[in-house]
Amino acid sequence: MASYLQQADHLLRPRGQALPSLRVLPLLVIVLGGGYGAVMGTYGGLSADRLWQVVYSGTKVPLLLLATFSISLPSFFVVNTLAGLRNDFGKVLSALLATQAGLTVILFSLAPYTILWYLSFDDYGRAILFNGLMFAVASISAQFILLKFYRPLIRQNPLHRLMLVLWLLIYSFVGIQMGWVLRPFIGSPDEPVEFFRENSWGNAYEMVFGIIQRSFGF
Amino acid sequence: MFFWRALRELDQILRGEKTRPQALRTASLDISLGRIVVMILVLGMLYGLCMSVFAMTQNYPGHHLQTLASMIKVPALFLLTLLITFPSLYVFNALVGSRFGVVELLRLIIAALGVSLAMLGSLGLIVAFFSVSTTSYAFMILLNVFIFTVSGFLGLKFLLQTLHRMSILAADEKGEPESVEASHPPNDDFEIEVVEEPEKNSGPLAKLYGPILGGEVKTVFRCWIVVFGLVGAQMSWVLRPFIGDPNTEFAWFRPRSSNFFEAVVNTFLSLFQ
Repeated sequence: MASYLQQADHLLRPRGQALPSLRVLPLLVIVLGGGYGAVMGTYGGLSADRLWQVVYSGTKVPLLLLATFSISLPSFFVVNTLAGLRNDFGKVLSALLATQAGLTVILFSLAPYTILWYLSFDDYGRAILFNGLMFAVASISAQFILLKFYRPLIRQNPLHRLMLVLWLLIYSFVGIQMGWVLRPFIGSPDEPVEFFRENSWGNAYEMVFGIIQRSFGF
Repeated sequence: MFFWRALRELDQILRGEKTRPQALRTASLDISLGRIVVMILVLGMLYGLCMSVFAMTQNYPGHHLQTLASMIKVPALFLLTLLITFPSLYVFNALVGSRFGVVELLRLIIAALGVSLAMLGSLGLIVAFFSVSTTSYAFMILLNVFIFTVSGFLGLKFLLQTLHRMSILAADEKGEPESVEASHPPNDDFEIEVVEEPEKNSGPLAKLYGPILGGEVKTVFRCWIVVFGLVGAQMSWVLRPFIGDPNTEFAWFRPRSSNFFEAVVNTFLSLFQ
Protein backbone atom coordinates (compact mmCIF):
# COMPACT_ATOMS: atom_id res chain seq x y z
CA MET A 1 0.00 0.00 0.00
CA ALA A 2 2.73 2.41 1.03
CA SER A 3 4.66 1.67 -2.15
CA TYR A 4 1.59 2.38 -4.24
CA LEU A 5 1.14 5.70 -2.52
CA GLN A 6 4.77 6.45 -3.22
CA GLN A 7 4.17 5.62 -6.88
CA ALA A 8 1.25 8.03 -6.91
CA ASP A 9 3.49 10.69 -5.40
CA HIS A 10 6.10 9.96 -8.07
CA LEU A 11 3.51 10.69 -10.70
CA LEU A 12 2.90 14.17 -9.40
CA ARG A 13 6.56 15.05 -9.13
CA PRO A 14 8.64 12.69 -11.24
CA ARG A 15 12.25 12.60 -10.15
CA GLY A 16 14.83 12.34 -12.87
CA GLN A 17 14.20 10.00 -15.73
CA ALA A 18 12.63 7.24 -13.67
CA LEU A 19 9.38 6.34 -15.33
CA PRO A 20 6.59 4.71 -13.37
CA SER A 21 6.09 1.02 -13.97
CA LEU A 22 3.40 -0.02 -16.42
CA ARG A 23 2.04 -2.59 -13.98
CA VAL A 24 1.04 -0.18 -11.25
CA LEU A 25 -0.47 2.55 -13.40
CA PRO A 26 -3.66 0.80 -14.56
CA LEU A 27 -4.14 -0.38 -11.00
CA LEU A 28 -4.01 3.21 -9.77
CA VAL A 29 -6.56 4.19 -12.41
CA ILE A 30 -8.90 1.41 -11.32
CA VAL A 31 -8.57 2.00 -7.57
CA LEU A 32 -8.48 5.78 -7.44
CA GLY A 33 -10.77 6.38 -10.42
CA GLY A 34 -13.14 3.86 -8.95
CA GLY A 35 -12.88 5.65 -5.62
CA TYR A 36 -13.93 8.97 -7.07
CA GLY A 37 -16.65 7.28 -9.11
CA ALA A 38 -18.07 5.68 -5.99
CA VAL A 39 -18.16 9.04 -4.23
CA MET A 40 -19.80 10.51 -7.30
CA GLY A 41 -22.50 7.85 -7.19
CA THR A 42 -23.52 8.62 -3.61
CA TYR A 43 -25.66 11.56 -4.71
CA GLY A 44 -28.88 9.56 -4.44
CA GLY A 45 -28.01 8.49 -0.92
CA LEU A 46 -26.71 5.22 0.51
CA SER A 47 -29.98 3.36 0.96
CA ALA A 48 -30.06 -0.24 -0.18
CA ASP A 49 -31.69 0.43 -3.53
CA ARG A 50 -29.30 3.28 -4.38
CA LEU A 51 -26.20 1.32 -3.45
CA TRP A 52 -25.88 -0.17 -6.92
CA GLN A 53 -25.44 3.33 -8.31
CA VAL A 54 -22.30 3.66 -6.18
CA VAL A 55 -20.95 0.43 -7.66
CA TYR A 56 -21.89 1.42 -11.20
CA SER A 57 -20.33 4.85 -10.97
CA GLY A 58 -17.23 3.33 -9.41
CA THR A 59 -16.93 1.02 -12.42
CA LYS A 60 -17.67 3.67 -15.00
CA VAL A 61 -14.92 6.17 -14.22
CA PRO A 62 -12.02 3.70 -14.72
CA LEU A 63 -13.89 2.22 -17.67
CA LEU A 64 -14.19 5.66 -19.27
CA LEU A 65 -10.47 6.32 -18.93
CA LEU A 66 -9.12 2.89 -19.81
CA ALA A 67 -11.51 2.14 -22.68
CA THR A 68 -10.86 5.52 -24.29
CA PHE A 69 -7.15 4.91 -23.85
CA SER A 70 -7.20 1.46 -25.45
CA ILE A 71 -9.39 2.47 -28.35
CA SER A 72 -7.21 5.44 -29.20
CA LEU A 73 -3.90 3.63 -28.81
CA PRO A 74 -3.61 1.49 -32.01
CA SER A 75 -3.90 4.39 -34.43
CA PHE A 76 -1.54 6.49 -32.32
CA PHE A 77 0.94 3.63 -32.42
CA VAL A 78 0.85 3.47 -36.21
CA VAL A 79 1.20 7.24 -36.56
CA ASN A 80 4.20 7.22 -34.21
CA THR A 81 5.80 4.44 -36.20
CA LEU A 82 5.29 6.34 -39.44
CA ALA A 83 6.87 9.40 -37.86
CA GLY A 84 9.92 7.27 -37.04
CA LEU A 85 9.39 7.42 -33.29
CA ARG A 86 8.85 3.72 -32.68
CA ASN A 87 11.94 3.40 -30.50
CA ASP A 88 10.51 5.93 -28.08
CA PHE A 89 7.12 4.30 -27.92
CA GLY A 90 7.80 2.56 -24.63
CA LYS A 91 8.40 5.94 -23.01
CA VAL A 92 5.41 7.43 -24.79
CA LEU A 93 3.20 4.64 -23.51
CA SER A 94 4.24 5.11 -19.91
CA ALA A 95 3.88 8.89 -20.25
CA LEU A 96 0.31 8.48 -21.47
CA LEU A 97 -0.59 5.90 -18.84
CA ALA A 98 1.05 8.01 -16.15
CA THR A 99 -1.18 10.89 -17.19
CA GLN A 100 -4.24 8.70 -16.85
CA ALA A 101 -3.12 7.57 -13.41
CA GLY A 102 -2.17 11.13 -12.43
CA LEU A 103 -5.61 12.31 -13.46
CA THR A 104 -7.23 9.84 -11.11
CA VAL A 105 -4.87 10.80 -8.27
CA ILE A 106 -5.95 14.43 -8.66
CA LEU A 107 -9.58 13.45 -9.06
CA PHE A 108 -9.47 11.33 -5.93
CA SER A 109 -7.96 14.18 -3.95
CA LEU A 110 -10.95 16.30 -4.98
CA ALA A 111 -13.49 13.75 -3.75
CA PRO A 112 -13.96 15.41 -0.32
CA TYR A 113 -15.20 18.58 -2.02
CA THR A 114 -17.76 16.54 -3.90
CA ILE A 115 -18.98 14.98 -0.66
CA LEU A 116 -19.29 18.40 0.93
CA TRP A 117 -21.18 19.66 -2.11
CA TYR A 118 -23.58 16.71 -2.00
CA LEU A 119 -24.21 17.35 1.69
CA SER A 120 -24.86 21.04 1.16
CA PHE A 121 -26.89 21.29 -2.03
CA ASP A 122 -29.83 19.30 -3.21
CA ASP A 123 -30.01 20.01 -6.91
CA TYR A 124 -29.24 17.31 -9.50
CA GLY A 125 -28.31 19.79 -12.22
CA ARG A 126 -25.85 21.54 -9.93
CA ALA A 127 -24.40 18.22 -8.84
CA ILE A 128 -23.67 17.42 -12.47
CA LEU A 129 -22.09 20.82 -12.99
CA PHE A 130 -19.93 20.46 -9.90
CA ASN A 131 -18.67 17.05 -10.99
CA GLY A 132 -18.00 18.46 -14.43
CA LEU A 133 -15.94 21.16 -12.79
CA MET A 134 -13.94 18.58 -10.79
CA PHE A 135 -13.26 16.58 -13.95
CA ALA A 136 -12.19 19.74 -15.75
CA VAL A 137 -9.78 20.68 -12.94
CA ALA A 138 -8.31 17.17 -12.90
CA SER A 139 -7.99 16.94 -16.69
CA ILE A 140 -6.32 20.31 -17.01
CA SER A 141 -3.93 19.61 -14.14
CA ALA A 142 -3.11 16.22 -15.61
CA GLN A 143 -1.83 17.95 -18.73
CA PHE A 144 1.06 19.24 -16.63
CA ILE A 145 2.01 15.66 -15.82
CA LEU A 146 1.79 14.78 -19.49
CA LEU A 147 4.00 17.72 -20.41
CA LYS A 148 6.52 16.82 -17.72
CA PHE A 149 6.96 13.35 -19.15
CA TYR A 150 6.85 14.53 -22.73
CA ARG A 151 9.34 17.37 -22.43
CA PRO A 152 12.46 15.18 -22.62
CA LEU A 153 10.97 13.39 -25.60
CA ILE A 154 10.23 16.66 -27.37
CA ARG A 155 13.76 17.82 -26.67
CA GLN A 156 15.01 14.65 -28.32
CA ASN A 157 12.79 14.97 -31.35
CA PRO A 158 10.47 17.94 -31.95
CA LEU A 159 8.10 15.65 -33.85
CA HIS A 160 6.86 14.46 -30.47
CA ARG A 161 5.13 17.81 -30.01
CA LEU A 162 2.97 17.16 -33.07
CA MET A 163 2.28 13.64 -31.82
CA LEU A 164 1.17 15.01 -28.47
CA VAL A 165 -1.32 17.32 -30.12
CA LEU A 166 -2.54 14.43 -32.24
CA TRP A 167 -2.97 12.25 -29.18
CA LEU A 168 -5.04 14.87 -27.41
CA LEU A 169 -7.23 15.23 -30.51
CA ILE A 170 -7.84 11.48 -30.91
CA TYR A 171 -8.27 10.96 -27.18
CA SER A 172 -10.78 13.73 -26.70
CA PHE A 173 -12.70 12.76 -29.82
CA VAL A 174 -13.18 9.24 -28.49
CA GLY A 175 -13.42 10.30 -24.85
CA ILE A 176 -16.31 12.71 -25.38
CA GLN A 177 -18.37 10.02 -27.05
CA MET A 178 -17.34 7.47 -24.42
CA GLY A 179 -18.48 9.79 -21.65
CA TRP A 180 -21.74 10.31 -23.46
CA VAL A 181 -22.39 6.60 -23.91
CA LEU A 182 -21.54 5.71 -20.30
CA ARG A 183 -24.09 8.13 -18.84
CA PRO A 184 -25.40 8.40 -16.15
CA PHE A 185 -22.34 8.85 -13.97
CA ILE A 186 -24.17 10.35 -11.05
CA GLY A 187 -27.65 8.93 -11.40
CA SER A 188 -30.73 11.05 -10.97
CA PRO A 189 -32.45 10.23 -7.66
CA ASP A 190 -35.83 10.34 -9.43
CA GLU A 191 -34.97 7.54 -11.80
CA PRO A 192 -34.35 3.84 -11.11
CA VAL A 193 -30.74 2.72 -10.84
CA GLU A 194 -29.37 1.18 -14.02
CA PHE A 195 -25.98 0.74 -15.62
CA PHE A 196 -26.90 2.23 -18.97
CA ARG A 197 -29.69 4.67 -19.30
CA GLU A 198 -32.38 3.42 -21.61
CA ASN A 199 -32.07 4.95 -25.06
CA SER A 200 -28.91 6.72 -24.00
CA TRP A 201 -27.37 5.31 -27.18
CA GLY A 202 -26.68 8.25 -29.35
CA ASN A 203 -23.97 10.46 -30.59
CA ALA A 204 -22.53 13.33 -28.59
CA TYR A 205 -21.48 15.21 -31.71
CA GLU A 206 -24.86 14.81 -33.30
CA MET A 207 -26.39 16.35 -30.18
CA VAL A 208 -23.97 19.26 -30.39
CA PHE A 209 -24.91 19.76 -34.05
CA GLY A 210 -28.53 19.80 -32.99
CA ILE A 211 -27.93 22.36 -30.26
CA ILE A 212 -25.97 24.63 -32.57
CA GLN A 213 -28.63 24.31 -35.20
CA ARG A 214 -31.44 25.15 -32.77
CA SER A 215 -29.59 28.09 -31.31
CA PHE A 216 -29.00 29.57 -34.74
CA GLY A 217 -32.55 28.81 -35.77
CA PHE A 218 -31.84 26.79 -38.93
CA MET B 1 4.68 -18.49 -40.20
CA PHE B 2 3.56 -16.66 -43.29
CA PHE B 3 1.29 -14.16 -41.60
CA TRP B 4 3.88 -13.27 -38.99
CA ARG B 5 6.48 -12.65 -41.69
CA ALA B 6 4.03 -10.54 -43.67
CA LEU B 7 3.28 -8.48 -40.58
CA ARG B 8 6.99 -8.00 -39.95
CA GLU B 9 7.53 -6.87 -43.49
CA LEU B 10 4.74 -4.32 -43.28
CA ASP B 11 6.15 -3.16 -39.96
CA GLN B 12 9.52 -2.62 -41.60
CA ILE B 13 7.87 -0.43 -44.21
CA LEU B 14 6.11 1.57 -41.50
CA ARG B 15 9.31 2.02 -39.55
CA GLY B 16 11.01 3.27 -42.69
CA GLU B 17 13.59 0.48 -42.76
CA LYS B 18 12.69 -0.37 -46.33
CA THR B 19 13.10 3.19 -47.52
CA ARG B 20 16.41 4.05 -45.85
CA PRO B 21 18.85 5.51 -48.37
CA GLN B 22 21.09 2.44 -48.00
CA ALA B 23 18.17 0.14 -48.75
CA LEU B 24 17.00 2.16 -51.73
CA ARG B 25 20.44 2.24 -53.26
CA THR B 26 20.63 -1.48 -53.96
CA ALA B 27 17.32 -2.23 -55.56
CA SER B 28 14.06 -0.43 -56.07
CA LEU B 29 12.15 -1.41 -52.96
CA ASP B 30 13.09 -4.66 -51.34
CA ILE B 31 9.64 -5.95 -50.47
CA SER B 32 7.74 -9.09 -51.27
CA LEU B 33 4.61 -8.18 -53.20
CA GLY B 34 2.73 -11.28 -52.06
CA ARG B 35 3.16 -10.59 -48.36
CA ILE B 36 2.17 -6.97 -48.53
CA VAL B 37 -0.86 -7.75 -50.68
CA VAL B 38 -1.92 -10.33 -48.10
CA MET B 39 -1.54 -7.70 -45.37
CA ILE B 40 -3.61 -5.27 -47.45
CA LEU B 41 -6.33 -7.90 -47.75
CA VAL B 42 -6.26 -8.75 -44.05
CA LEU B 43 -6.26 -5.15 -42.83
CA GLY B 44 -8.94 -4.19 -45.34
CA MET B 45 -11.13 -7.03 -44.12
CA LEU B 46 -10.50 -6.04 -40.53
CA TYR B 47 -11.61 -2.49 -41.25
CA GLY B 48 -14.59 -3.78 -43.22
CA LEU B 49 -15.60 -5.78 -40.17
CA CYS B 50 -15.33 -2.70 -37.92
CA MET B 51 -17.26 -0.64 -40.44
CA SER B 52 -20.11 -3.15 -40.62
CA VAL B 53 -20.62 -3.08 -36.86
CA PHE B 54 -23.09 -0.28 -37.57
CA ALA B 55 -25.19 -2.61 -39.75
CA MET B 56 -25.03 -5.31 -37.07
CA THR B 57 -26.58 -2.97 -34.53
CA GLN B 58 -29.43 -2.12 -36.91
CA ASN B 59 -32.39 -4.25 -37.69
CA TYR B 60 -33.35 -4.22 -41.35
CA PRO B 61 -33.80 -7.11 -43.78
CA GLY B 62 -30.51 -8.83 -44.62
CA HIS B 63 -28.37 -6.61 -42.41
CA HIS B 64 -26.10 -9.48 -41.39
CA LEU B 65 -24.95 -9.86 -45.00
CA GLN B 66 -23.50 -6.36 -44.79
CA THR B 67 -20.58 -7.71 -42.73
CA LEU B 68 -19.58 -10.06 -45.51
CA ALA B 69 -20.10 -7.36 -48.13
CA SER B 70 -17.99 -4.78 -46.28
CA MET B 71 -15.17 -7.23 -45.63
CA ILE B 72 -14.97 -7.92 -49.35
CA LYS B 73 -15.52 -4.36 -50.49
CA VAL B 74 -12.86 -2.51 -48.50
CA PRO B 75 -9.87 -4.42 -49.90
CA ALA B 76 -11.58 -4.48 -53.30
CA LEU B 77 -11.91 -0.69 -53.23
CA PHE B 78 -8.16 -0.21 -52.95
CA LEU B 79 -7.12 -2.95 -55.33
CA LEU B 80 -9.66 -2.04 -58.02
CA THR B 81 -8.66 1.61 -57.85
CA LEU B 82 -5.07 0.49 -58.32
CA LEU B 83 -6.09 -1.75 -61.20
CA ILE B 84 -7.75 1.17 -62.96
CA THR B 85 -5.05 3.74 -62.43
CA PHE B 86 -1.91 1.60 -62.71
CA PRO B 87 -1.73 1.07 -66.50
CA SER B 88 -1.81 4.77 -67.24
CA LEU B 89 0.74 5.45 -64.50
CA TYR B 90 3.10 2.95 -66.06
CA VAL B 91 2.63 4.24 -69.58
CA PHE B 92 3.15 7.88 -68.65
CA ASN B 93 6.16 6.93 -66.56
CA ALA B 94 7.73 5.18 -69.47
CA LEU B 95 6.82 8.11 -71.69
CA VAL B 96 8.79 10.61 -69.59
CA GLY B 97 11.70 8.19 -69.35
CA SER B 98 11.70 7.14 -65.71
CA ARG B 99 13.81 4.17 -64.65
CA PHE B 100 10.95 2.21 -63.08
CA GLY B 101 10.03 -1.17 -64.51
CA VAL B 102 6.56 -2.62 -64.02
CA VAL B 103 7.50 -4.67 -60.96
CA GLU B 104 9.46 -1.84 -59.33
CA LEU B 105 6.63 0.56 -59.86
CA LEU B 106 4.12 -1.94 -58.52
CA ARG B 107 6.26 -2.52 -55.41
CA LEU B 108 6.38 1.19 -54.73
CA ILE B 109 2.62 1.60 -55.06
CA ILE B 110 1.79 -1.53 -53.07
CA ALA B 111 4.07 -0.35 -50.26
CA ALA B 112 2.19 2.97 -50.22
CA LEU B 113 -1.12 1.12 -50.13
CA GLY B 114 0.25 -0.98 -47.27
CA VAL B 115 0.91 2.19 -45.29
CA SER B 116 -2.63 3.40 -46.00
CA LEU B 117 -4.21 0.14 -44.93
CA ALA B 118 -2.13 -0.03 -41.76
CA MET B 119 -3.45 3.38 -40.77
CA LEU B 120 -6.97 2.40 -41.76
CA GLY B 121 -6.83 -0.87 -39.84
CA SER B 122 -5.53 0.83 -36.72
CA LEU B 123 -8.42 3.30 -36.81
CA GLY B 124 -10.87 0.41 -37.03
CA LEU B 125 -11.41 0.24 -33.28
CA ILE B 126 -12.52 3.86 -33.14
CA VAL B 127 -14.97 3.28 -35.99
CA ALA B 128 -16.31 0.14 -34.31
CA PHE B 129 -16.83 2.02 -31.06
CA PHE B 130 -18.70 4.85 -32.75
CA SER B 131 -20.71 2.34 -34.79
CA VAL B 132 -21.91 0.65 -31.63
CA SER B 133 -22.85 3.84 -29.85
CA THR B 134 -24.26 5.93 -32.69
CA THR B 135 -27.63 5.78 -34.33
CA SER B 136 -26.90 8.46 -36.91
CA TYR B 137 -26.18 7.05 -40.36
CA ALA B 138 -24.99 10.42 -41.67
CA PHE B 139 -22.42 10.75 -38.90
CA MET B 140 -20.99 7.31 -39.65
CA ILE B 141 -20.67 8.13 -43.34
CA LEU B 142 -18.79 11.32 -42.64
CA LEU B 143 -16.54 9.68 -40.05
CA ASN B 144 -15.66 6.92 -42.49
CA VAL B 145 -15.02 9.33 -45.32
CA PHE B 146 -12.72 11.30 -43.05
CA ILE B 147 -10.81 8.21 -41.95
CA PHE B 148 -10.38 6.95 -45.49
CA THR B 149 -9.14 10.39 -46.52
CA VAL B 150 -6.57 10.53 -43.72
CA SER B 151 -5.33 7.01 -44.46
CA GLY B 152 -5.15 7.60 -48.18
CA PHE B 153 -3.31 10.85 -47.66
CA LEU B 154 -0.68 9.19 -45.46
CA GLY B 155 -0.10 6.44 -48.01
CA LEU B 156 0.34 8.92 -50.84
CA LYS B 157 2.63 11.04 -48.70
CA PHE B 158 4.74 7.93 -48.19
CA LEU B 159 4.81 7.44 -51.94
CA LEU B 160 5.98 10.99 -52.64
CA GLN B 161 8.62 10.91 -49.91
CA THR B 162 10.03 7.60 -51.12
CA LEU B 163 10.15 8.96 -54.62
CA HIS B 164 11.90 12.04 -53.36
CA ARG B 165 14.51 9.91 -51.60
CA MET B 166 15.08 7.87 -54.71
CA SER B 167 15.59 11.02 -56.70
CA ILE B 168 18.19 12.29 -54.21
CA LEU B 169 20.03 9.02 -54.55
CA ALA B 170 19.78 9.19 -58.32
CA ALA B 171 21.31 12.65 -58.22
CA ASP B 172 24.08 11.37 -55.91
CA GLU B 173 24.90 8.56 -58.25
CA LYS B 174 25.42 10.95 -61.09
CA GLY B 175 27.94 12.70 -58.87
CA GLU B 176 26.28 16.03 -59.26
CA PRO B 177 27.03 17.45 -55.80
CA GLU B 178 30.78 16.85 -56.21
CA SER B 179 30.93 18.41 -59.64
CA VAL B 180 29.07 21.49 -58.42
CA GLU B 181 31.50 21.83 -55.56
CA ALA B 182 34.52 21.45 -57.79
CA SER B 183 33.43 24.04 -60.29
CA HIS B 184 33.15 26.77 -57.69
CA PRO B 185 35.85 29.40 -57.56
CA PRO B 186 37.59 29.23 -54.15
CA ASN B 187 36.58 32.64 -52.80
CA ASP B 188 33.03 32.72 -53.95
CA ASP B 189 30.45 33.89 -51.41
CA PHE B 190 28.02 31.27 -52.58
CA GLU B 191 27.34 28.73 -49.91
CA ILE B 192 26.86 25.15 -50.84
CA GLU B 193 23.75 23.68 -49.41
CA VAL B 194 24.71 20.88 -47.10
CA VAL B 195 22.83 17.71 -47.67
CA GLU B 196 21.96 16.61 -44.15
CA GLU B 197 22.45 13.00 -43.33
CA PRO B 198 19.15 11.52 -42.26
CA GLU B 199 18.88 10.55 -38.63
CA LYS B 200 19.32 6.90 -38.10
CA ASN B 201 15.79 6.21 -36.99
CA SER B 202 13.90 8.84 -38.91
CA GLY B 203 10.56 7.51 -40.12
CA PRO B 204 9.46 6.96 -43.67
CA LEU B 205 7.61 10.27 -43.74
CA ALA B 206 10.56 12.37 -42.59
CA LYS B 207 11.91 14.74 -45.16
CA LEU B 208 15.41 14.38 -46.46
CA TYR B 209 16.93 17.60 -47.55
CA GLY B 210 18.58 17.72 -50.88
CA PRO B 211 18.03 18.48 -54.50
CA ILE B 212 14.52 17.72 -55.56
CA LEU B 213 14.14 15.53 -58.56
CA GLY B 214 13.55 17.94 -61.31
CA GLY B 215 11.18 16.97 -63.83
CA GLU B 216 8.55 15.03 -65.38
CA VAL B 217 8.60 11.84 -63.35
CA LYS B 218 7.53 13.69 -60.29
CA THR B 219 4.86 15.56 -62.20
CA VAL B 220 3.51 12.27 -63.48
CA PHE B 221 3.29 10.94 -59.93
CA ARG B 222 1.65 14.11 -58.66
CA CYS B 223 -0.98 13.91 -61.36
CA TRP B 224 -1.44 10.24 -60.67
CA ILE B 225 -2.04 10.90 -56.98
CA VAL B 226 -4.86 13.29 -57.84
CA VAL B 227 -6.30 10.78 -60.28
CA PHE B 228 -5.97 7.99 -57.71
CA GLY B 229 -7.87 10.05 -55.16
CA LEU B 230 -10.67 10.89 -57.59
CA VAL B 231 -10.98 7.35 -58.90
CA GLY B 232 -10.88 5.97 -55.37
CA ALA B 233 -13.66 8.29 -54.27
CA GLN B 234 -15.84 7.39 -57.22
CA MET B 235 -14.99 3.69 -56.84
CA SER B 236 -16.23 3.84 -53.28
CA TRP B 237 -19.47 5.28 -54.62
CA VAL B 238 -19.80 2.54 -57.23
CA LEU B 239 -19.17 -0.16 -54.63
CA ARG B 240 -21.59 1.32 -52.08
CA PRO B 241 -23.17 0.53 -49.65
CA PHE B 242 -20.23 0.00 -47.29
CA ILE B 243 -22.02 0.86 -44.09
CA GLY B 244 -25.60 -0.01 -44.97
CA ASP B 245 -28.49 2.43 -44.88
CA PRO B 246 -30.75 1.37 -41.99
CA ASN B 247 -33.82 2.69 -43.81
CA THR B 248 -33.65 0.32 -46.77
CA GLU B 249 -33.05 -3.33 -47.44
CA PHE B 250 -29.63 -4.84 -47.81
CA ALA B 251 -28.26 -4.73 -51.33
CA TRP B 252 -24.89 -5.77 -52.68
CA PHE B 253 -24.86 -2.77 -54.99
CA ARG B 254 -27.08 0.24 -55.55
CA PRO B 255 -28.31 1.47 -58.93
CA ARG B 256 -26.33 4.16 -60.69
CA SER B 257 -27.12 7.66 -59.52
CA SER B 258 -25.43 10.83 -58.35
CA ASN B 259 -21.71 10.80 -57.48
CA PHE B 260 -19.43 10.64 -54.48
CA PHE B 261 -18.87 14.34 -53.91
CA GLU B 262 -22.49 15.33 -54.26
CA ALA B 263 -23.42 12.58 -51.81
CA VAL B 264 -20.89 13.71 -49.20
CA VAL B 265 -22.11 17.28 -49.37
CA ASN B 266 -25.72 16.13 -49.06
CA THR B 267 -24.87 13.91 -46.10
CA PHE B 268 -23.11 16.77 -44.38
CA LEU B 269 -26.11 19.04 -44.90
CA SER B 270 -28.45 16.34 -43.62
CA LEU B 271 -26.74 16.53 -40.24
CA PHE B 272 -28.32 19.96 -39.85
CA GLN B 273 -31.85 18.95 -40.73
